[in-house]
Amino acid sequence: MRIGVFVCHCGENIGRTVDCHAVAEACAHFPGVAHSEDYKYMCSDPGQNLIKQAIREKGLDAVVVGSCSPHMHEKTFRKACADAGVNPYMVEIANLREHCSWIHDDIKAGTRKSIDLMRFAVEKVKFNVPLSPIRVPVTKRTLVIGGGISGIQAALDVANAGYEVVLVEKEPSIGGHMSQLSETFPTLDCSQCILTPRMVEVYQHPKIKLMSYSEVEKVDGFIGNFTVTIRKKAKSIKEEFCTGCGLCAQKCPIKKKALSEFDEGLSFRSAMYVPFPQAVPNIPVIDREVCTYFKNGKCALCKSVCGRDAIDFDQQDRFVKEEVGAIIVATGYKLYTIDKKPEGSIYKGYGEYGYGKYKDVIDGLQFERIASASGPTSGEILRPSDNKEPQKIVFIQCVGSRDESKGISYCSKICCMYTAKHAMLYKHKVHHGEAYVFYMDIRSGGKNYEEFVRRAIEEDHVKYIRGRVSKIYEEDGKLIVRGEDTIAGMPVTIDADLVVLATAMVPQPEASVLAQTLGVSYDKYGYFQEVHPKLRPVETATGGIFLAGACHSPRDIPECVSMASAAAAKTMVLFGSDMLEREPVVAEVDPSTCAGCFYCKKVCAYNAIDINEIRDRKGQLQKVVAHVNSGLCQGCGTCNATCPSKSIELIGFRDDQIFAQINAFAEV
Amino acid sequence: MLLQRYNMEEKFEPKIAAFVCNWCTYTGADLAGTSRLKQQPNARLIRVPCTGRIDPVFIIKAFESGADGVLVSGCHPGDCHYNAGNFHARRRWIMFRELLEFAGIDSSRLHFSWVSASEGKKWVDVIDGVTETVRKKGPFDQYRKMSRKIELPELEEEGVEI
Amino acid sequence: MNGLNEVCREAISGNKAALIIGYTEDKHHHLKPFIAHTEADTDKLTYNHNAVNNLAVYLHRFRNRTEGRIGIVVKPCDLKAITALIQENRVKRDDLYVIGVNCSGVVKDQNKEFSKENTQIKCKTCAGKTPAWYDVVVEESVEFELPEDNNALLMKQIEEMSAEERLEFWNSEFEKCIKCYACREVCPMCYCDQCIVDKTEPRWIESSATNRANFAWNMIRAFHQAGRCIGCGECDRVCPADIPLSLLNRKMGMVAFKEFGYRHGTDMNAPTLIGTFSTSDHEEFIR
Repeated sequence: MRIGVFVCHCGENIGRTVDCHAVAEACAHFPGVAHSEDYKYMCSDPGQNLIKQAIREKGLDAVVVGSCSPHMHEKTFRKACADAGVNPYMVEIANLREHCSWIHDDIKAGTRKSIDLMRFAVEKVKFNVPLSPIRVPVTKRTLVIGGGISGIQAALDVANAGYEVVLVEKEPSIGGHMSQLSETFPTLDCSQCILTPRMVEVYQHPKIKLMSYSEVEKVDGFIGNFTVTIRKKAKSIKEEFCTGCGLCAQKCPIKKKALSEFDEGLSFRSAMYVPFPQAVPNIPVIDREVCTYFKNGKCALCKSVCGRDAIDFDQQDRFVKEEVGAIIVATGYKLYTIDKKPEGSIYKGYGEYGYGKYKDVIDGLQFERIASASGPTSGEILRPSDNKEPQKIVFIQCVGSRDESKGISYCSKICCMYTAKHAMLYKHKVHHGEAYVFYMDIRSGGKNYEEFVRRAIEEDHVKYIRGRVSKIYEEDGKLIVRGEDTIAGMPVTIDADLVVLATAMVPQPEASVLAQTLGVSYDKYGYFQEVHPKLRPVETATGGIFLAGACHSPRDIPECVSMASAAAAKTMVLFGSDMLEREPVVAEVDPSTCAGCFYCKKVCAYNAIDINEIRDRKGQLQKVVAHVNSGLCQGCGTCNATCPSKSIELIGFRDDQIFAQINAFAEV
Repeated sequence: MLLQRYNMEEKFEPKIAAFVCNWCTYTGADLAGTSRLKQQPNARLIRVPCTGRIDPVFIIKAFESGADGVLVSGCHPGDCHYNAGNFHARRRWIMFRELLEFAGIDSSRLHFSWVSASEGKKWVDVIDGVTETVRKKGPFDQYRKMSRKIELPELEEEGVEI
Repeated sequence: MNGLNEVCREAISGNKAALIIGYTEDKHHHLKPFIAHTEADTDKLTYNHNAVNNLAVYLHRFRNRTEGRIGIVVKPCDLKAITALIQENRVKRDDLYVIGVNCSGVVKDQNKEFSKENTQIKCKTCAGKTPAWYDVVVEESVEFELPEDNNALLMKQIEEMSAEERLEFWNSEFEKCIKCYACREVCPMCYCDQCIVDKTEPRWIESSATNRANFAWNMIRAFHQAGRCIGCGECDRVCPADIPLSLLNRKMGMVAFKEFGYRHGTDMNAPTLIGTFSTSDHEEFIR
């Protein structure tokens, strides 16, 4: 090997406390060094030309530059060498500035240390090998999981950029929770009015393949090359024939056996149902649990009235495979179930508030349905128990949130705003009604949010009481709410007609199952984990899988929309080229020495180690060894250090390269 | 080279081998440099992508190569650029340092730290602290004697170190 | 002895196992490892106080076998090695036919009679005379006088030494090492196809028997066994230089238990110590 050594003065930055000429002289005597010189500004054009000239004249095949930190100019020098015909990975940088000249005043110590650092780099580069960036092909299609506002936004952005999208939604209709809301803060826009045009756009978009009433079953592959198996659940309808006329749902005789999920249990729906009138797609679904035909073979009224013969009782769940290059997860949230007997989860109930016991203790989404013009009460604020108009409503914030003893220590972010909104909606409809809000703090940090809450207090005269509620019980048809007013320093008792609980936002219960299917991390609550909370909030540690919306953490609609567009942008960055180019600093297995213990697989944070069976020509198993998927490997080297036989090594930081540096320590 | 270190006029200067992760500690050391924070010149840094890459055999080799003290430093738990490399490293360190302590190499010679990319000042404190501790402890002659490959008693009498 | 031969014969004839790794007596009345392939072979199998070998180490020879289960005669301490190998996915439970033996202690020196002085130290701290699990169990366990735990005494002495004294102690022990690698060969948990000491590029650990290379070898082997050694003590037994090797592994086992509550080889479904982590692993030693 013929190594070229170049020591930069960096003007006075290195030259003042390090004798660069002496360093270059010393390096000239290292075995393997064919050329050694120093220069004022190595990164400048003339400096780079010196390197290129030396490469040509002296036939150099590796270069060591003593300069500023590699974080500054490693790329510069790599490019210069590549231009002159030396592989860019045959370049090593010794940090003589940040790690030497700038931190020592003693020129003797500084020079000696610089010589040592140069020696380490020279010894390391002797074991470098030429490398090329790894190329992985990219399928330019995206899977979006979840058809709420986040999924819809992400799907539209990607589709409008010209790439195909597969949108999978587990409910019969897209729209998510936003379609259940009556009005949105801070504008009090009608939620469905702003959402439904988007829903229709998705349905009609030529680049979006919508799969409703479907779930992601299995995900194989890696970034740019995922194969996703999707279960299309049986709607019992042949979608190609259905016109959405709604006659079947109208005629369905089973009207009171199932509670409407869309109305949060406040009304019934039929066995053959469309979740709400503006559902997209407007195709009904048979709930086989309550349908008479599926229970005892009778009825089939829907089939007889259907003019298009679209009903298919024999339909089964179908599995389809889709090839995609990127996945956006937008599974959203649900509200914390806070009755006394939670389903064996980390959450503990709020039995003391009587949710599930008293009909008139409801949660935020139920209030939205009551306030909604298309809801069970046609928009009139009426109590669920007796359909009377409540004269006093108590709203309680922070139910479940910010309460470590109940299992949730975080703040759900949106409750202060929607509680103010609920109180305002109530007051707009029941002018003489009294609205009380029990709060711990008011968190209204968004644009026009603080003004919105002030409006509730000052214009709509909602009474805010700082304190928590200890108990709610029923007496003479009223709900007695016992709480505390901490500012006045005294207990408060209110005889309410209706109590609305601002319960915590939690991830979907199956989120952790989906996370494991995808191979992404999640926290103890089930929220999906981002790579870096500050700088990479929409990416997961698994390449090619991005996050959008409330499945990541509690957030409101504008934040969901922003995040969805961000995830879409990340997808488009991925699709920007036909081949994905990655730094070749990845691990590699030597199958001849690998014992197949797979300790490397255990420590790989990126699932980049596969199990490889080595068979002979007759198909007999010889051994099982590890194999690195270079598309997924991020190059940390934990596998290398964990492997007892060193059968897996990290290219660029291999054992022999590090050994050479440690060995050079003997000369220090 | 070895004699230069142990000159009669100069005091003993410890040699510290420092294995640092690229994303946090190396960058933190860069920040110390950019801020011109002066520190002891005894450490020689060897860059690895992650503390997860650091095999305890590096530490043994560093002592064999003449290090009087070894420092291993990386990202704070939870901040690892590669998610979990430093968690695996930490568990390794818990076991290895107990083993080395049992064998006679204690925490005066083997040091660990978490230094993030923004902790330039902390890096200086770590370097200075480790250098001082090892300087007080003295040269690691016990290990150096073990590392002697050949026995030449006549040269030893003349005071030549082999 | 009682039951062992019948059970083994029946295992072969009834196709419960394709072969059985067990012990047989040689002309010096020592027990040595023996692999029975036929029913006739099973007559040669036996078990007594001389059954010192940990037979689990032979399981590695039969990896990737597809015809028939591997039978193995195993005493309670050695069974932990099998549990550990299952934990590490090195062998599958379903590929084994485990013939457990109710043990009554094993000797240090096969030339002498079984007595309190001639009992292996590990028998004193044996977790149980009956194997923790098995497909079938044989023999009756008989009470015996427990030996002195000289290893514990030595551990205590070492821990009371200063760092310099300890290094001096181990250096003088390792000076005797001849790099025969008997410790590695006999250890069921040492199953790398190519050991790190045999890797030449780079040469992390020299194979020559010098002080520094011996120190490095024994330290690194002990570290690779950290959280993996199951305490069978074979390394001590076979070392021709009488180096108290198992003390290093014992120390690592104590740390694994104290820090993480972990014992390798006790629960075949437990995740391994190395290769996992907890966000609350302690770190007061880290600046």
